[in-house]
Amino acid sequence: MREMTADPYLGKYITCVSARSTDKEILKKAQDGGIATALMVYALEEGIIDGTIVAGEGDRPWEPRPIVAMSREDILKARGTKYSISPQIAWLKEATRSFGLDKVGVTGVCCQMQAVRKAQLYPINMRDVPGKVALTVGLFCMENFPYKSLQTIVEDHAAQSLGSVKKMEITKGKFWVHTERGNVSTVPLKATHKYEQPGCHVCLDYVSSLADISTGSVGSPDGWSTVFIRTKKGNEVWSKAVAAGMFETKPIEDVKPGLELLTKLAKEKIDKNRKTLEERRNFGVNKALRDPYA
Amino acid sequence: MTKVVEISPTTRHEGHSKLTLKVNDQGIVERGDWLSITPVRGVEKLAIGKTMEQVPKIASRVCGICPVAHCLASIEAMEASIGCEIPKDAKLLRVILHAANRLHSIALHNILILPDFYIPGTETKINPFSKEEPFRSVATRIFRIREIAQTIAAIAGGEAIHPSNPRIGGMYQNVSPRAKQKIADLAKEGLVLVHEQMEFMLDVIRDMQNREYVTVGGQNIPIPKTLGYHNQGVMATSPMYGSSSLDENPTWDVTRWKETRPWEWYMGEVTIDLEDPNYPIGGTTKAGTRANPQMEACNSVPTYDGQPVEVGPRARLATFKNFNEKGTFAQHIARQMEYPDCLYTILKCLDDLDTSGKVIADHIPQGDGSMGWAANEAPRGTDIHLAKVKDGRVLWYEMLVPTTWNFPTCSRGLKGAPWQIAEMVVRAYDPCVSCATHMIVVDEKNRIVAQRIIQ
Repeated sequence: MREMTADPYLGKYITCVSARSTDKEILKKAQDGGIATALMVYALEEGIIDGTIVAGEGDRPWEPRPIVAMSREDILKARGTKYSISPQIAWLKEATRSFGLDKVGVTGVCCQMQAVRKAQLYPINMRDVPGKVALTVGLFCMENFPYKSLQTIVEDHAAQSLGSVKKMEITKGKFWVHTERGNVSTVPLKATHKYEQPGCHVCLDYVSSLADISTGSVGSPDGWSTVFIRTKKGNEVWSKAVAAGMFETKPIEDVKPGLELLTKLAKEKIDKNRKTLEERRNFGVNKALRDPYA
Repeated sequence: MTKVVEISPTTRHEGHSKLTLKVNDQGIVERGDWLSITPVRGVEKLAIGKTMEQVPKIASRVCGICPVAHCLASIEAMEASIGCEIPKDAKLLRVILHAANRLHSIALHNILILPDFYIPGTETKINPFSKEEPFRSVATRIFRIREIAQTIAAIAGGEAIHPSNPRIGGMYQNVSPRAKQKIADLAKEGLVLVHEQMEFMLDVIRDMQNREYVTVGGQNIPIPKTLGYHNQGVMATSPMYGSSSLDENPTWDVTRWKETRPWEWYMGEVTIDLEDPNYPIGGTTKAGTRANPQMEACNSVPTYDGQPVEVGPRARLATFKNFNEKGTFAQHIARQMEYPDCLYTILKCLDDLDTSGKVIADHIPQGDGSMGWAANEAPRGTDIHLAKVKDGRVLWYEMLVPTTWNFPTCSRGLKGAPWQIAEMVVRAYDPCVSCATHMIVVDEKNRIVAQRIIQ
């Protein structure tokens, strides 16, 4: 096993690769390399997990709803990024109750990985949860939007109807909207800033540092993902999955733009948000706003 | 000459209580009072005006050993008041939850009583905390039984302690097919263990019935053959689950119940004049101390046909299965005999459970102020909640919990026992004193006695 790397912006990890799933059906609707979907499907089929929390389809178009998926079909339904809040952890305890799971998988963004780890170490009315979390797959996340924000960005700024959108993407300084009929609209990210969820502005994690395995788009070419294998559990699952032919991989060093761009963006996020946190200390006159990291 | 001795607090049961005992020259109890001294929390009074959804969740917090009983009795009292029939699969999940809770409670009570008992045929008392055999394997078995019970309760009820799944009109969640299988697997494992545990306990209890004496604090104390006998009779509503005023033929009669005040049944002021510093561990109350059970009792006294009654496992077996022994050891025996039924009930319910069935009533009326009641056969006996709900809010609420019924009955059962084993008589009731201490006691002028005691 390679020695653990401890990066101030990318967290602790054993290895980092660029990868994509070899499962064509998964790739058909995956946001990037299909890593989150393929890993959870593999873990379910191998008995590493017996169910997983994923961002399923909600009541309105592109509004995610967390569900406890216990089959390949249900996991596949959660493919694709929804740039809106999906309260994944709301099902964490219930997964061990009426669903009767023994080995729970969790997918989500950085803050949701933090929630899982906190529940494992400080289970406050979270009985049975610490021992039943079996695998966590975390996504990279720069910021998120409330559903109203997403509506405004897509329907007003990009002038597309949410019902016809096939895929959304934030990349290269723009918010991209692809429609089923092949249209592409973009919105400069500068225009979207005011719609960000304010709580994201104190977040100091870009690449889901606390997940077993984290995955995201930045650093790898289109259709591929940048993957960090972080924990012993993550390493075990990843090694087995790669040996079983579930993934194509390339060393991240051989890939453009690679870790250089990823580190740059991670640093930007953390530096900017750390500044926000500092400003909260002097938000009032002789008084401060709360700092959850204090 | 009559002397007064007091054991305060009593131990190895839930909650805070004491025994004020008048004894003869031989130390035999002539008149005993066992009373709650757990501060009154007044759940019934603070329930008034709150929503019918919230009150059962508060009532659940009366007790962490039998929260299921209070949660279910409370919800079903609300459902009885508003006239809401719940779907079949919700009822099945409630019964599974109920049976699992009874299972864990019996096993927990084993831990509490075993230190009074002997390894059959020896002079060695059982210490469930010892690493030695056979204690260790008995304790391990009890822990696994409880773990199984709590896990089943958590799956069917949402949470083992203070179940989250029950709601007015049914349940929040049905379970997954996987969860159903998991409960079945656990129940099958548990069934083997509870048969072993029941046989073990019955041997231990029968050995005790054959003994002439027990050792307490280094002294040999004779065991009367009639230990714990009383003539109060029994009350039970069902061998397993309960009954409610929605039933076609309810098995409890509200007109036979009357709430009375402690001083109709308890002694007045006495002065302690017998003291034993060697009573394990820490001695009895100091001589010269005054006690006044009438005023100090934080429980009220519900009566059935004008008398206190015994409730619990023996009451259920006597009512429904013609169990005809009585007294302390009969109560212990009856409790062990309830072990297997918990798991057979769970397995039977699973057979009938449709995991895709609906678990919430289509229509939940908001109530017109009618009185409804529900009885839940809690591990310790009949737990009856009565409620009047109007426009979704609780107008009136009353809880008649098992140990409240048992307090004055057990007090009468103390007569004839050497005072040193009065606690053994108490423990055979598996008392849950915080359950029994939830009410505001009002005196003749409608002043609140409990509040006066707190002041």
